[in-house]
This record gives sequence, structure tokens and C-alpha cells, in this order.
Amino acid sequence: MAELSHIANEFIRQEIDEFLERPEEIERNIELFSRVRPAMQDIAAALIEGDDEEVDRLTKQALDEGTNALEVMDDGLIAGMGIVGIKFREAIIFVPEVLACARAMKAGMKHIEPILSESGVEPVAKVLMGTVKGDLHDIGKNLCIMMLRGSGFEVVDLGVDTSEDEFIDALEEHKASILGMSALLTTTMPNMGKTIEALIDADLRDDVMVMVGGAPVTQEFADDMGADGYGKDALSCVSLARKLAEEGA
Amino acid sequence: MKNRPQVVKEMTSRERVLAALRREPVDRTPVCNPTSVATVELMDLVNAPFPGANRDAEAMARLAATSFTELGFDSVMPVFSIIQESSALGCKMQWEQKDNWPTVRMSEPIWKDVEDIVIPNDFLTHPDMVCVLDAISILRKEFGNDVAIIGKTMGPWTLGYHCFGVEPFLLMSLDDPGKTMACLDRMKEATIEFGLAQIDAGVDALTVPDHATGDLVSGEYYKRFLMDMHAEFVDIIPVPLILHICGRTVDRMDYIAQTGMAAFHFDSKNAPRESMDIIRDRISLVGNINNPETLFAKNPEDVRKEVLANLEAGVPLIGPECAIPLQTRIENLREIPRTVRQWHGEHGIAN
Repeated sequence: MAELSHIANEFIRQEIDEFLERPEEIERNIELFSRVRPAMQDIAAALIEGDDEEVDRLTKQALDEGTNALEVMDDGLIAGMGIVGIKFREAIIFVPEVLACARAMKAGMKHIEPILSESGVEPVAKVLMGTVKGDLHDIGKNLCIMMLRGSGFEVVDLGVDTSEDEFIDALEEHKASILGMSALLTTTMPNMGKTIEALIDADLRDDVMVMVGGAPVTQEFADDMGADGYGKDALSCVSLARKLAEEGA
Repeated sequence: MKNRPQVVKEMTSRERVLAALRREPVDRTPVCNPTSVATVELMDLVNAPFPGANRDAEAMARLAATSFTELGFDSVMPVFSIIQESSALGCKMQWEQKDNWPTVRMSEPIWKDVEDIVIPNDFLTHPDMVCVLDAISILRKEFGNDVAIIGKTMGPWTLGYHCFGVEPFLLMSLDDPGKTMACLDRMKEATIEFGLAQIDAGVDALTVPDHATGDLVSGEYYKRFLMDMHAEFVDIIPVPLILHICGRTVDRMDYIAQTGMAAFHFDSKNAPRESMDIIRDRISLVGNINNPETLFAKNPEDVRKEVLANLEAGVPLIGPECAIPLQTRIENLREIPRTVRQWHGEHGIAN
């Protein structure tokens, strides 16, 4: 059985020791990082610190030295983002810090994406994400997108003020298996239901799993509207998307 | 001021709100929403629909007055949104329709650096500012001293979201705290100017929404960037100030209580008693009836339970937690003052 002391990177050890509280998450992360090569741990540590320049440098260096792009993504970037998500959920860090980590993730992914795309590696699932019609708030949606991308999903960002027709057109174009809708305003929440109705009218409802979220949205509201799932925060969004991807497969 | 066995003569709504903001005895707990009580039903009732009611002083005043005349609240608030100043500062706007709030297009920011921040010379004479100032004058003329007229001037943190974009502003706060402070320092001039102009127009108190919410930033952030600035507002703006921050805020309530603000308008994510324990008697609290789950989606009986929880915790001013959903039913809103009156009928003077 893996132990904390098996992890080479001192910063990662401290992060797990200091900030993780749920036994299953501690165990999973010790297991993960103890099998991950030290160079990947360094990438994860730089990402957790939100140091985009260091992530950029270390990712490039790892790829130049012949490390597989998928290993850099999974064992470095995604593993680091996992810790970031937990710290955010537990209010140890807040949105500015998450934004910095996402910027670091992006700095690493810019080296990895072209390689993965060339080699035809499939994402976990393809997700369409948009803030509903009449709503221009996007910070929550963007955090979800960062976490989803940081967990191996391909995400098409439809931006804000997205009409039912725009969701449908994008679904037909991108053939995504999951559609995520966000709303911050109580006045725009009902547009989630309208979009689901439009999907039914367009005979597309059975082709896609629908997840919803946003500050005023609740599980009860999501159920009433006929969504397949509700995510309370960015981390829940990722676990929900994983579940929906499995159910929809 | 809790549970003083003191006989207080019957007060007007205005006297009641102002006394509660000063933490003085009241004849009964005032009902007040320092953000907005505009709803579609109320718009129809007085023919003052959005978006016009956000841009036309007569319509704005008519809709604001319904808080007092139709709902029985003790205050009126003519500013229904958080965008009037941002419009005057040059942000791109989406004024929307009757059933939605106007919003700033924050994905198209107007500023990037400290030097970009300019409060225009015509800031106070911009039509969207004049509209608010004229609406306040109309309300004062119509209601005299009967009802508390509360104005609204946006804090610099919220202006930062609008003018810099939420993500760039939050990233800047992490990358360059010094630059962020310099930006806040320039933007606060807009807060002060508009606040003082509303006092000239006749407000009794001002809400200062400044969304350093627990959903976005830490309590330490509030302390580092805003606590002193909010205390400065108290020194410069000579009416009671009500700070409004949405979301979970217990981790910053102690700092807020140190600013000298008259009151803090708090969200239902914070339990009334827990919040009162933190604030103690340093400032007043206003709130915190849940909007999306209770006022919008439930019934008067559910509203009543939340009002009672606040009364029993000793919250000095009762009202919705934030600007109420536009589709909220009037009967749910009327339940707030009804419950407050009934409770005082049974318990006498609580405060």
C-alpha cells in the first residue's frame, strides 16, 4: 500500500497532508502521486501553485525528453488540477487562485494538445457548455470548463446569452454527448427548461445528457426541468460529467 | 439593543428604518430590501415595466413606490439593478426586456490598466444617473418623511468586475495586488460622487453593493482590499450606509462590522443567529429571506418560517436577501411585513 512518504515531491506531500481531509481522496491521491514519476509531480506542483511559466517550461522539457504527452497530461496536469479542485471545493482557495491554476493548465496544454490531436487520442467525452439566453454571467461556467478540460474532457464553449437554437445548432454541429447549461439569475433559470423542451421538439433529447448549474439552481429545480443532473460547483460538475458520460455511453 | 423592555411610540416607516440602522429602539422591526423589490406583477400594477423603469425617472419612482404602497415595506429603493454607474462609465450594456434585469457585457471590458480609469466629467449628468437622481427627488416629494428612501451606489470591487471583466479583474488581484488597490482607489471616486449626489437628491441611506462574495474571494481578500476603503466611505458619505455582499460571508462579517457601516445586507447562505453572533451589536443586519428557493418558488407559509427565524435571532431589519426574482409572487412578499406585524403583536417590542 502506498504511503505519503513514497511521494518524491515535498510540496505535493504537504498539499495532501495539509489540505485533504476525506479519507478516500487522501488514499486516491497518495496512490496516484506515489506511482507518478518525479518530473510529473513537479509539473503538478507548479500547476497547483498557479505558476504558468514553470508549467510551460516543465511540460516542454518533459516532452522534449521523450515523455509521452498523455502521461504529462494525466500524471502532471490533470493530477495537479485534481488537488486544485478539492482545495476550491473546501474553500481553501478561491476563484482568483483557480483562475491562475487554469492559466497554468492552459500553458501546459498548449504543448500537449497538438500532439494528442495528431495521434487521435479520444477525450473522456465531448461537452457543450453555455450560459443560457438573457444571462451574461460566465465565471461559474468558465470554472466548470477549466475543471472539465483539466480532467480530460473536450469542451466547446458557447459563451453567454446562448439561445435554444444556438444550443441545438451547436449540438448538431459538434455531436457532443453532454450539454451543460449555466444561469446566475433567477430570471434566466427557466431558459434551461425551455432549452430542454427545444431539444425534445428537435428530437435530440435522447442523444444528449443535460447537466445544469449556477448559483440559484437547485437539484429540485433541475429535476423539475427534466435535466439529467445538477452540479453544485465546478468539482461536482466534473464528477457529474463523468457519470453522465458513462451512462450515455 | 436586544429585548429592551422599552416602550417606543409608534414610528413612521422612515423613522423605524433609520432608528434600526442607528441600532436605536424601534416600535417594531422594519421590513426593508436595500437592493430591489421590483417584480413583473408590480410593473404591471403601476405600468412601469423593465427596461423602461431602469431608464425613465417617473417609471422608476412609480415602481419603487410599490414597495411601500403595495407590499407594506418600510423602505423604497429606486435602483433595481447594479448597472447605472457602469452605463455612465461607458460599459456596453444589455438592457434586456420586461422579464429580465439589465446587465453589463463584462466579456467586453472597457479598462485594462490604472491609467484607463477615468470618471467622465459628465458622469453625474449621464441620463442613467440623472434618472436615479430624479426618481429619488420624485419619491421624496411624494412621500415626504413617511418612508425611508434608500439609494444605491456601487462599490469599486463590483465596478471592477464590470469595467475590467470578472476574470481579468480577479486575476489582477492575485498577480498584482498593488495595481488592484490603485484601480480600486480610482474607481471609488465613482462610488463617492454618486453617493453624495443621491444624498443631495434626498436619500435617507445608501446601499453599497460591493460583490467581494464568498463564492469568489476569501474573507482575507475583503480585509486586504476593501475593509479600509469601506470605512473611508463611512467617513466621507454622511448618511447610514448598508453594505451588500451576496453569498456566504461569515468569514468576513467580523471585518465588515469593523468598517462602521450602519448595516450589512446578508444572504440566506448565512444563518441569522450565527451572523448575529459575529456582528454582535457593532452594526445592524438586514436580511435574509431566501430568494430562489423560498420567495420565488415556495408559499407564504415557507416565507413566514424564514421571517420568524430572523426575528427570533434578533435581526434588526427583515427583508429578502438580495434583489428579488422578477417573477416572485406578490403574496409571498406581503407575507414578510404580515409576519413581522403578527410576531410583534404576540411578542411586543422586541428590539
